[in-house]
Amino acid sequence: MKLSKNKLIELYITMKKIRLFEERIVDLYAKGVVPGLVHLYIGEEAVAAGVCATLRDDDYITSTHRGHGHVIAKGAEIKLMMAELFGKKTGYCKGKGGSMHIADMDRGILGANGIAGGGLPIAVGAGWSAKWRNTDQVVVSFFGDGSSNNGTFHESLNLASVHRLPVIFVCENNLFGISVCQIKHQAITDVAVRATGYDMPGVVVDGNNVLDVFKAAAKAVMRARAGEGPTLIECKTYRWRGHHEGDPNQGARYRTREEIEAWKKKCPIEWFSRQLIQDGVATAKKLEAVVQKIDAEIDAAVAYANESEFPACEDMFEDVYV
Amino acid sequence: MATEVVIPMLGITVEKGKIVEWLKREGDPVAKGESIFVVEADKVTTEVESPASGVLARILLSEGEVVPVLTVVGVITAPGEALPEKYRAVAPPSEAAGPPPLTAAIVAEPLRAPAGPGGPIRIVPAARKLAREKGIVLETLSGSGPEGVVCFRDVLATESAVPAVGKISPLARQSAEKLSVPLDSVEGTGVRGRIMRTDVEKAAQRIAAPGLGKVVPMNAMRQVIARRVSESAFTAPHIYFFTDVRMDALLDFRQQIQREFEERFALRLSVNDLMIKAIALTIMDFPLLNATVKENEIHIQPEVNIGLAVALADGLIVPAVVGAAQARLSEIVRQRVDLVERARKGRLTMAEIERGTFTISSLAQYDITHFTAILNPPQSGILSVGKVRDELYLDNGTVKSRQIATMGLSVDHRIVDGVVAADFLLHLKQTLENPVFTLCCM
Amino acid sequence: MREITYSEALNEALRQCMEADERVVVLGEDIGCYGGIFQVTKGLQEKFGPERVVDTPIAEAGFVGASVGAALTGMRPVTEIMFIDFTTVCMDMIINQMAKMHYMFGGKGKVPMVLRTNIGAGRGTAAQHSQSFHSVYMHTPGLYVAVPATPYDAKGLLISAIQNDNPVIFVEHKRLYNTKGPVPEEMYTIPFGKAEIKRQGMDVTLVATHALVSSALEAAEELARSDIEVEVVDPRTLTPLDTETILNSVKKTGRLLVADEDNKTCGVAAEISAMVAEEAMEYLKAPILRACSPDTPVPFSPPLEKHYMFGKERLVGMINRLMAYA
Repeated sequence: MKLSKNKLIELYITMKKIRLFEERIVDLYAKGVVPGLVHLYIGEEAVAAGVCATLRDDDYITSTHRGHGHVIAKGAEIKLMMAELFGKKTGYCKGKGGSMHIADMDRGILGANGIAGGGLPIAVGAGWSAKWRNTDQVVVSFFGDGSSNNGTFHESLNLASVHRLPVIFVCENNLFGISVCQIKHQAITDVAVRATGYDMPGVVVDGNNVLDVFKAAAKAVMRARAGEGPTLIECKTYRWRGHHEGDPNQGARYRTREEIEAWKKKCPIEWFSRQLIQDGVATAKKLEAVVQKIDAEIDAAVAYANESEFPACEDMFEDVYV
Repeated sequence: MATEVVIPMLGITVEKGKIVEWLKREGDPVAKGESIFVVEADKVTTEVESPASGVLARILLSEGEVVPVLTVVGVITAPGEALPEKYRAVAPPSEAAGPPPLTAAIVAEPLRAPAGPGGPIRIVPAARKLAREKGIVLETLSGSGPEGVVCFRDVLATESAVPAVGKISPLARQSAEKLSVPLDSVEGTGVRGRIMRTDVEKAAQRIAAPGLGKVVPMNAMRQVIARRVSESAFTAPHIYFFTDVRMDALLDFRQQIQREFEERFALRLSVNDLMIKAIALTIMDFPLLNATVKENEIHIQPEVNIGLAVALADGLIVPAVVGAAQARLSEIVRQRVDLVERARKGRLTMAEIERGTFTISSLAQYDITHFTAILNPPQSGILSVGKVRDELYLDNGTVKSRQIATMGLSVDHRIVDGVVAADFLLHLKQTLENPVFTLCCM
Repeated sequence: MREITYSEALNEALRQCMEADERVVVLGEDIGCYGGIFQVTKGLQEKFGPERVVDTPIAEAGFVGASVGAALTGMRPVTEIMFIDFTTVCMDMIINQMAKMHYMFGGKGKVPMVLRTNIGAGRGTAAQHSQSFHSVYMHTPGLYVAVPATPYDAKGLLISAIQNDNPVIFVEHKRLYNTKGPVPEEMYTIPFGKAEIKRQGMDVTLVATHALVSSALEAAEELARSDIEVEVVDPRTLTPLDTETILNSVKKTGRLLVADEDNKTCGVAAEISAMVAEEAMEYLKAPILRACSPDTPVPFSPPLEKHYMFGKERLVGMINRLMAYA
């Protein structure tokens, strides 16, 4: 599969945007400007970017608590994300949802989800909906290795399989739930083997290689669009920071610093930028310009969020019901 | 020194009464002799005067509850005096020495003060609200609900004689209105004595037609009448005398003066009015006919107050024209008209009934020649008047007609012997047959 | 008007809605070729096909969650959970997803789905198949809750539920499925938040749900012979709750009995009682009483289950207690 230059640069931009956004959140969260909980995607950018690049605007995704990466990759406006994270009424959810519930129905983002495994059945429903409505939309359900043990995983794969639904199940295996590593929470090493139990293709992919991810995803999307049913893609990856901001030692408590450093060396963005320059797709200068542009965008988003107002107290009662 | 306010004696035979309206509120100043509340007994209302001057410091009985006479219903204290402990149910208002505490308004919510003999008032919310609105002191309420809690109906019952909402089902109430059944005559057979529609219907049947085989319960008035006539009949030995009175002169006399009388006084003169006057004048010469028995004494009443028996729908009542011997004819007529009207509306006072010393009972409108009347206790004489009839007589061989009425006199033989009675009756006859002389010279 | 059963009325509602709107799909266990264990979905699969009338695997979280996802993306699913007892298996999907999405997403993302289920003991189905904890859903903000007691109400409310854009928990009752009543043939709706006074009276307000509505009417009939007039109020929906009708009734009678089949603690009756005590305290002539099941799981043994259940006799007894405060 040969990707166009533009497409490749887009992939880069997406990954970089996620990285810079999340790094900015580290700062803002530390300063107390972002309340509550945030679960950052730093290190896993290739998965979101690679998968979402295969999707149309009208395709759907369901995401997880660690959803910033997915929603940015699917095209969410970071200005509205930032406002939502600040809890302002101009945010995506009018400040009512926060980090874990960012949603953009117009872009097919059916919400980040605070419940582990919560998004899988919803994704199945969206796929079912496409089938009922006779469209060729597809749905990507992002979830982690932890959720792969949850009942909803099994029920969802089973339902998608028996009804041949256009769902791509993307497992981001970052080797940890919160603190319990994969070896301790499942007997298998590759989550993808579970696909056989549900009569669908199961693929293992290097989650730090955005092109591999892209290829696998594209294939699964094509299969789904053709009405051939679901696929399970497992992306091996790693999160650099703790489970959440404030996770003591940023994850070093339950894993070694060496391990973290080892994975950092395999940074997907570093690797890809080298590839792009190597293949003559872009110059370092161009890539630098991209960074600056993204930075400016994030600055603007922060400014927007800062200037926006909090919702009024009465707004608490709004939208409980339609 | 605190003065107790009681339901006063309301007549020799009255045993119970109820306050229909307090004219003063707790804390109001009162003057001795000033009307302080209105009491009702035996269907007659009376204003009761304050026995002392001071402040009505405490009301102990609220409107609507029937109690025996002489029950203490309130306490009057001297200005500045504290309410004696035994009358207190709540902590008294601040006792500043000085002007009477007029701010001691009716306390509707003595929530925190230990109230009454058993702790705080137990009362359901709706009842509490109603009591507050009506200004009813909670401590005066007695509770008929479970474990003695004061219910809504208990507060309603203090308001009127009509059974409270809870004591009568809505259907029964509607039925009673439709069938014009007085609710105090209905016995309730429902839950906790609640009056049901079937009870009302049964009562209506009984009241409507005392027919063969039916059982008719006595209402209040009927019971009073029964009691009084029994008392009279079985206590005072009656003797009866009759005479025929020639009524021509009296009737002519009335006719003569009638028109001018009406123009002058705007009152209609009736034969009964003339009879009242005649009897009163005659009694002046026969004081024993104006007396009562008290054990071994004969008490001759100072005034001649002639009672007139007034028939009501389901009974009778006897108000008395006061001072009939001295009063001018126009005054007698005025009194008579007023009393009869109010008698028919149930608006007589007890005094107006109790003050009678001699009674006239007339069945002249009916085709009754003569009848024996039972004394109106504790009076010693009663005159029964029969219908005026035409009689033929011989006047020196010529047949003439004249108008005759037979009058009967019943007297209490403990006081009045036959000779006295006969003499009285004779004199009365003469008085009636010579109206001009009577009114001028007697 | 023709009389049909409660389950036939529901069936008709489903059929008519599916005919009118192709976005309406029906999911559940054994609802397809079997027609549902109470035959509510009988004949639907024949008519609309297995794509629209789906026999799901035993995966409540899966297919209820899928219903949420489908509702979010343009469908109007009517999903059945066989007994309310089984909703515990997919609690997350109901309480954390279905109920909250519209709110969490700031008003974007509607979930116009209906979750049908049923309550009620009395068939010896024991502790895990006889519960009535619909109060849990009344308790949860974001969900509408319907509780029809008659075939007429069942059809009208189900059509309203399907047409409503809010997620609805539609609570039916096992013992009512075979009860009959007059039902119009055409489509009609009953608004949410509108109680019905099933019988007027002056003495006591009796708010009752589901099968207790007919017990309430029987009790009222019996008490009328003692001249006690009972006003029977059927809320028909618990969220939104028609507080106005209930309060007006209590202000008129001053006495309230709330009858609901859930066990007493924290049930529907508790909420309605508290609401009335708060809003109409000064109109109360008597304490507020609740007629509910005892705080035990539903026992199996027939005499025990019978003792667990209650009906007209208990209601009459409690109303007589209230009338002692007349």
